[in-house]
Amino acid sequence: MSFTSLSYFLFLPAIYLIFHLTPQRWRWLVLLLGSYLFYATLKAPYLLAALFTITSVSYLCAIGMAANEDDGTRKRWLWGGSFACVAVLALFKYLPFFESGMNQLFGINATLSQTLISIGVSYYSFQAISYLADVYLEIETPERHLGHYALYLAFFPKLLQGPIERAGDLLPQLKSGSPFDYDRARSGMLLFAWGLFKKVVVADRLALYADQIFNNVHLYGGIPLLLGCYAYALQIYFDFSACTDMARGTGRLFGINLSENFNSPYLSTSIADFWRRWHISFSRWILDYIFRPLQLGWRDWGQAGTALALVLTFLVSGIWHGATWGFVVWGLLHGLYLAASTYYRPYQKKLHKRLGVAKSPLLKWWQVFVTFHLVTFAWVFFRAASLADAWYVVSTIPRLGMRGISDFLDPGKRGLMVTLLCLALLGMGALRPQAVSLVKSSFSGRGRWLCYYVFAMLTVICGIFGKAGFIYGRF
Amino acid sequence: MGGLKEMELQERLNAIFCEVFDDEEISIAPETTSNDIDGWDSLTHVNLITSIETRFDIRFTQKEMLKQRNVGDLMADISRKLAERQ
Repeated sequence: MSFTSLSYFLFLPAIYLIFHLTPQRWRWLVLLLGSYLFYATLKAPYLLAALFTITSVSYLCAIGMAANEDDGTRKRWLWGGSFACVAVLALFKYLPFFESGMNQLFGINATLSQTLISIGVSYYSFQAISYLADVYLEIETPERHLGHYALYLAFFPKLLQGPIERAGDLLPQLKSGSPFDYDRARSGMLLFAWGLFKKVVVADRLALYADQIFNNVHLYGGIPLLLGCYAYALQIYFDFSACTDMARGTGRLFGINLSENFNSPYLSTSIADFWRRWHISFSRWILDYIFRPLQLGWRDWGQAGTALALVLTFLVSGIWHGATWGFVVWGLLHGLYLAASTYYRPYQKKLHKRLGVAKSPLLKWWQVFVTFHLVTFAWVFFRAASLADAWYVVSTIPRLGMRGISDFLDPGKRGLMVTLLCLALLGMGALRPQAVSLVKSSFSGRGRWLCYYVFAMLTVICGIFGKAGFIYGRF
Repeated sequence: MGGLKEMELQERLNAIFCEVFDDEEISIAPETTSNDIDGWDSLTHVNLITSIETRFDIRFTQKEMLKQRNVGDLMADISRKLAERQ
């Protein structure tokens, strides 16, 4: 069930009421059963089986690790548990890839993978691996209560699209079964509504433009293609950050603070900065559990070791998104950007001084401009239907042709206006979350309610409902 | 402390920090973390580790490096390794 579906609007109040009517010490059970019910509505029993498998394997491996002092044995529990999580994840994500290979090799026509969905698997398997690693490093003590641990993996607001939570951040909150708090519930509902607005009004309307371009790239010249790339860059941000807002808003209703996943990423001044602000819970995960071990392991190779670790880490990140060449190229591009910046960084300040721009206020905006375009360039490979399409887009844009421009702006001239208006509103809001709280605090009483009504009306009138789910639900 | 007093170790370590982060003003304490020092990120951290290993002639294990959370953890690992060697 998607956060924007009618069934979720019925499910959420129901579970919220039951939660608060239940004695505090049993509230974890309400959330756990609610989360399993939420997952079961996807009507894919094998997904529940995958969740149960990962839950029980990682729970037992952590207990096994804690029962042993010997580092070699502890390491075997860590690797055994992590391998099981990766195996389940790989089975779901890469079955279509293996199946098509087998079909070609043996001339058969297996179609099992066409009906298989893997929604959520990559998020809870990554969480289980982080838990095992933290127990191994003795940063976390293993959780003995199976119910609490199962809820840590299954908690429904973050089950399908993250954020990927560390055990130390989430488990203590889940255990506390927090009492009703008016302010927290209110801010949770506001955050949820804000996310809904961003998704159905902004992201899904931008999707009309991005989809039109990327579904038929060969019909367009350079300018419409460039506009389509911008539309997609904004769409994926609004879509994904909306989803995170709705997850965090839901979490707050139950007294749970989930991690922030975005911090104005398109205002980043470098690619390294971008990865500190974009999909933060995921980038923290790959940096802590893939990059750092590789980088420290290869420290004798100096800068080359760091550069290689970056390329490999982001290659894995690309493959995590799916078994297509587009994701591989996207990951590789980010890895190469970062690897190149490790060599460039020592000369950066000297270069700025030599050019006389070190103290210019324009420097920051130039860096934001360049970073945004490097990120958008990589999104082309992420979004295009094939590598050939992506190549067509990036090789046609420099020619700046206008072919198809009138066709491109046709599907909603009104829609375009609404989108631009919303973007102007969001310009300070979504791109700068601090500004949202400033606006909220500066309104009081009637002014605030007027604001709520306007947003609610805008959401209902301008929103596109009944569209497919969130982009990051696929991963 | 394996022949090396805690204050002496901290002073030697401080000198390495100043050199790696190119800042003479740095003054470390056991509770100092990467948030307290300008430029201490995952990229410069590896330079810090290799400098420490060279100066003290020790070798950290992967697990030790991943567990270190602040300067105090670093100092504890260094003095343990120095003590083991004697």
